[in-house]
Amino acid sequence: MRYLIRRLLSLIPTILGVTIVVFLLLRLIPGDPAVAMLGEHASQENVQRIREQLGLTRPLFLDREALKGGDFRGFVDSQYLRFLGRLVRGDLGASIHRRIPIATELAQRFPATVELALAAMAVAVALGIPIGIISAARRNTWVDSVSMVGALIGVSMPIFWLGLMEIMLFAVILHWLPIGGRLDHAIEIRRITGLLLIDTLLTGQWAAFWDAFKHLVMPVLALATIPLAIIARMTRASMLEVLQEDYIRTARAKGLHQRLVLFRHALKNALLPVVTVVGLQTGNLLAGAILTETIFAWPGIGKWVYDAIVGRDYPVVQGGTLLIALVFVLVNLLVDLSYAALDPRIRYE
Amino acid sequence: MSERPIVPEMPLRRRRTLWGDAWRRLIASPTARLGMAIVVLFALGTILAHFLWLYDPKTDLDYSLKLKPPTLRPTPDVPSIHIFGTDKLGRDIFRRVVHGGWNSLRVISVGISLAVGGLLGLLAGFYESVPLTVGERIGLMAGIGLVLGSIPAWIAGQAVQAVLFAALGAVSASVAASWPNGRRWLVLLGAGLLIGAIPSLFVSPYVAIVCGLLGLAIGAVLTFPLGGPLFSNIVMRLMDVILAFPSILLAIAIVAFLGPGLDRAMIAIGFVGIPTYARLMRATVLSLVQRDYVLAAQAVGSGHTRILFRHILPNTLSPIIVQSTLGLGSAIIWAGALGFLGLGAIPPEPEWGAMLGDSYRFLTSGAWWAVTFPGIAIMLSVLGFNLLGDGLRDALDPRLTR
Repeated sequence: MRYLIRRLLSLIPTILGVTIVVFLLLRLIPGDPAVAMLGEHASQENVQRIREQLGLTRPLFLDREALKGGDFRGFVDSQYLRFLGRLVRGDLGASIHRRIPIATELAQRFPATVELALAAMAVAVALGIPIGIISAARRNTWVDSVSMVGALIGVSMPIFWLGLMEIMLFAVILHWLPIGGRLDHAIEIRRITGLLLIDTLLTGQWAAFWDAFKHLVMPVLALATIPLAIIARMTRASMLEVLQEDYIRTARAKGLHQRLVLFRHALKNALLPVVTVVGLQTGNLLAGAILTETIFAWPGIGKWVYDAIVGRDYPVVQGGTLLIALVFVLVNLLVDLSYAALDPRIRYE
Repeated sequence: MSERPIVPEMPLRRRRTLWGDAWRRLIASPTARLGMAIVVLFALGTILAHFLWLYDPKTDLDYSLKLKPPTLRPTPDVPSIHIFGTDKLGRDIFRRVVHGGWNSLRVISVGISLAVGGLLGLLAGFYESVPLTVGERIGLMAGIGLVLGSIPAWIAGQAVQAVLFAALGAVSASVAASWPNGRRWLVLLGAGLLIGAIPSLFVSPYVAIVCGLLGLAIGAVLTFPLGGPLFSNIVMRLMDVILAFPSILLAIAIVAFLGPGLDRAMIAIGFVGIPTYARLMRATVLSLVQRDYVLAAQAVGSGHTRILFRHILPNTLSPIIVQSTLGLGSAIIWAGALGFLGLGAIPPEPEWGAMLGDSYRFLTSGAWWAVTFPGIAIMLSVLGFNLLGDGLRDALDPRLTR
């Protein structure tokens, strides 16, 4: 409990720092959002009016001119504190280009990224842990060498290139899978959770399910490669370490079946570092999603933020980056907590 | 006639060093040899091509050869040989891949992360467990005093105040050092209150109140946890903030801030990599500080600088070398990713990621060669560094070898 409180308190400076960085990075980027909104040929008056509407005429952090006049309300009425205040109320502003509230668009796009990341993580865990266990159990055989060389190639893979190679093979040459997007335009579905696979299953739209599945295959394969390789390597290393322990020798000496020793005695203890890696990689998936979504035209957060950075859509970049960073921080928190839950030694440190 | 003493023939033992042993272990591993071969091949090829095989990307252009598939002998259609084919401007892809190495493999970013992150981690780890000397304490205090003092000074619009706060830090640290433990905070609180409030009185009473309170708070913050752990805590929290962003996202944002360009992309990737090295360095130093030889060095009265750079730094080298080798691999990938997104090298400069970004639109029309070969170059070079890094880890830390 004390550990939990300490860990939660340590989040406060991190999250504050994140908001400052998100706020500052975008304000420091050359280019005026008011000009970006109105176009190059807007009149000086209009630009000034929009700047005032967006609050861009206020100082960044604190207004010292107002303070000299003894005006405390004016003193704290700055861009950053306004930004923070709106944030607390859940108001992220609206996209400059499309005039849609950020929160609305986030709610639409976030499930797409979540679906992609979860599916990729599921694939990585479902394949990576068994591969790691088999390599450790059959150490120094051809099975081990092949899977470890494969894992090393996986770690070295630039995923944007892997995505392109997949498109070439499955979409251009074999015509098995669609090139990009999330669902065929002709298909209409009812949205419940926003995760298309689950929605179509719940409503029993099999054709739509199959279509959504086909769209999902390539991005998931591209995104899953690196975590898959890292999880397989980590599982193997951790299993090898545990298999040297005395209690494994004891279990073997008792005449227990090899499978029982591997799964009941070794795997349980070997999973700790694997859990950490899974958590950290889940955070990294969000980063990988920026590239994957761009290549496969996947309508998620990553592509949205990237387009916004290129198009200088300040509120979108702020909202998207903030969300990704917060999810990242939360996932790391969960990893730490699950680690403490799994290994009592950490709690009593 | 003196009789020669009989010296028994003893087999001379070869002198062994840590690095010699590590080198022998490295060479013994086939995967490490493969990694080294790939790295050397790429490095040599790139350097030789850059200096001996002249290439001017600005004039390289031939529309008649646009998007031709790989050919091994001249044909009537394509009179020249292009073993990797040509791209959308009719440029020979093989040539651009070879020359692209100069841009793609020049990952100075790892140097940036290593230098900044390593130094921060070294200091954070060391001073977290070793108490500061009086001189260092005054320096740290003056530094924090300056930083915190410039905040009210900036608000009140007085440059003088920043200097005053630095002086407050230095003076009260030296006074506090001689005061009994329980009373130290009195000195600092009083000094903070006075120095904060008096000059501000000339501006307006409101400012005086704000500055006085700030000075009080600063005094309290300075007295209580001042020392290495505070410094280490601040540094590591800053690292946490950087780590809270997915690296590629932060790198993209930094490049958007700096403007596109290869060097700027490298700076962005380097900045994003700082926390990795700072954390690794701190963890390593924390375990080293407990060692007997560091205690011995402290006992004979070596200065902190000497202990840091003569006793601790050399022993942190092996994890740092391993991490840097692996880091080179990931820096190549990230540089390629930025180039792919159009944020790296400026066209027509050849760079592997940018070449992929240039040509992937032609994939649907069947131009597979234009995206295959630059990607293979990225993957192989990263694989080389990863193999070498794994080999180095086994070679430099024999305890891990199983």
